[in-house]
Amino acid sequence: MRIDIDRLTKRYRGGVTALDGLSLEVPTGMFGLLGANGAGKTTLMRILAGLLRPTGGSVRVGEHDVTTRAGRAAVRRVLGYLPQELGVYPDLSAREFLDYVALLKGIDDRTERRRRVGEVLEIVALAGDAGRKLKGYSGGMRRRVGIAQALLAGPRLLIVDEPTAGLDPEERIRFRTLLAQLAGDRTVLLSTHIVDDVAQTCRELAVLASGALVFRGTVEELTSRASDRVWSVITAGPAPTGGTIVSAVPHAAGMRYRVVAPVSPAAGAETVEPNLEDGYLALVK
Amino acid sequence: MITAARYELRMMLRKRSLWVSLGVIVVLLAAVGSQQVREVIRQDDPKGTMLSGALLVNIFLPVAYGCLLADRLVRDHRLGVAAILDATPASPVARLTGKYLGVCAAVTAPVALAYFGFAVAYAIASGRFAALGWALAAFALVLLPAVLFVGAFALAVPLVVPAPLFRVLFVGYWFWGNSITPDTMPTLAHSIVTPIGSYPMQELLGFRIRGGETIAGPVPGAALNFLRPEATPVTAWLSIGVLLVLAALALAAASVRPRR
Repeated sequence: MRIDIDRLTKRYRGGVTALDGLSLEVPTGMFGLLGANGAGKTTLMRILAGLLRPTGGSVRVGEHDVTTRAGRAAVRRVLGYLPQELGVYPDLSAREFLDYVALLKGIDDRTERRRRVGEVLEIVALAGDAGRKLKGYSGGMRRRVGIAQALLAGPRLLIVDEPTAGLDPEERIRFRTLLAQLAGDRTVLLSTHIVDDVAQTCRELAVLASGALVFRGTVEELTSRASDRVWSVITAGPAPTGGTIVSAVPHAAGMRYRVVAPVSPAAGAETVEPNLEDGYLALVK
Repeated sequence: MITAARYELRMMLRKRSLWVSLGVIVVLLAAVGSQQVREVIRQDDPKGTMLSGALLVNIFLPVAYGCLLADRLVRDHRLGVAAILDATPASPVARLTGKYLGVCAAVTAPVALAYFGFAVAYAIASGRFAALGWALAAFALVLLPAVLFVGAFALAVPLVVPAPLFRVLFVGYWFWGNSITPDTMPTLAHSIVTPIGSYPMQELLGFRIRGGETIAGPVPGAALNFLRPEATPVTAWLSIGVLLVLAALALAAASVRPRR
C-alpha cells in the first residue's frame, strides 16, 4: 500500500508549525522515518492514522484521500496503529483488551475473534500471560500488547511510532525483528529517533527536521553522507572540539573518540567506515 | 456501541471504589440516619415507605456515583488508550454512547442493589409485597433518570474542567440544586430541572412529605419560579424529558469536542 504525501502542512493553535510543506512517497514494505524529537514525526503519523486533520496539502493512502472524512474512515479499516504514548486499560486482561479492540475493528464473529486474538498473542509471545490483568504487565509486555492490537485485523498499513522506546535491549531486538518480518506485502512505517532500529530493519528511509523533509533514500545513501567524514581520535588530552562526537570509549592511551567532521578534528585522527548514525549526524548537524 | 457498553460495564463493575464508596454511603445512611430510616420503615403504607426510600437514595447516592464517573471519559486520554480506539473503524459517537450506557448500567447496579434490597427487606418484614411494585415504579421514574442525567454530565464536564474540580463543583451543585428550600436562597430545588425527581415523585407517584408538604411546583416568594411550573402529570413527564434532553446535549457536546 503506497502512501503519497504532497505539500503537507500542519499548524497547531498558537502558531506552532509541526509540518511545513512536506512531500514524501512511501512504498510498500518497511520504511523508516527518522528525526529528532519535535521534528514532526508523530504529527505525520497521527495524520496518516486519521487522528489529526492537516492544515494544508494532500495525503493519499492507497486509493484513499486522508483529508476527507470518508478517506480517513477507509484508512482505519486497513490500519494497524501503535501510538507513541501507548496505553491500555489496567483493569482488563490482555485477552480482554484485545477482544475489545478486535470488536471495535469489526471482527464480530466470536470464533474468528478468538482465533485472531490467540494468533496475535502467539506472535508477540504473550499467550501464557493473556489472562493476567494488564496493570501487572511490564513496559515491554505492554508494548507487545500494543503491537498485538495493531495486528488484529490483518492490516495492510502498519504505523508504529517510537515502538522500542523504553524496551530493554533484548526486547528491542525481538521487537524490531518482528516488525521486519511483518513487512512483506504490507507497508510498515517505523517512526523513531533511534537510528539503529532503522539501520537494522529498513532499506529505505526519510529524515525530517523542523517539519520538513531533509533526506529520502536508502540506508546506504544516508550512510554514505558521512564517507571520509568519520574520524577516530585517541588522546589523553582534551576532547576534540571540531565536529560532532559520536562516542567516547576509555582506551589504554586515554580516550578513543569517534567524531563526525568535514576535516580532521585532531592531530593523528584516522578516517573510519561510517555507519547510519554517522550519516544521520552528517546530515543534520 | 454494544461493545463499548459491555466493556465499560465490565471495567466499572471491577472498580473497587464503586462498591466501597456506595456501600459506605448506604451504611452511613443506615447508621447516622437510623432514626429517619426507622421512621421510613415504620410507615404503614408500602408506597410511602418506598418513595421515601427512593428520595433518600436519590439525595445521597448520586453524589458518589457522579464523582466516580468523572474520570471515565478523560481517562482514555490519560491512560493513552484514546489513540488506539480512535484509530479503529468504530464510530466515535457509537463508542461514546456505549461508554455512557455501560458506566450508567454499572452505577445502576449498586444503586438497585441497595434500593431493592431495602424494598425486599421491607416487603418480607411487613408482609406488604405491594412495596416491590412501588419500588419498581420509583426506580424507573425517579432513580433511573437521575443516573442518566448525572452520568452524562459526569462524562462530559471533565473534558473542560479537571475531574477533581468537577467533583467539588458537582457535590456543591447537588446539595444546592436539590436539597435547599427554595424560599431560603435561589436554588434549582423543586424545579423541573431537579434530577432528584421532585415532579415525577409528586405527580406520577403521588408522594407527599408528612404533613402534606409538596416538593415540586412554584414556591411563593422564591427566585427562579419560572423553572417551577404548576406540578401536574404533564409537567412531571416534562421534567423527565428535560433531564434526558439535557443529558443528550451534554453527550453531544462531548462527542464534538474539537480535535487539535
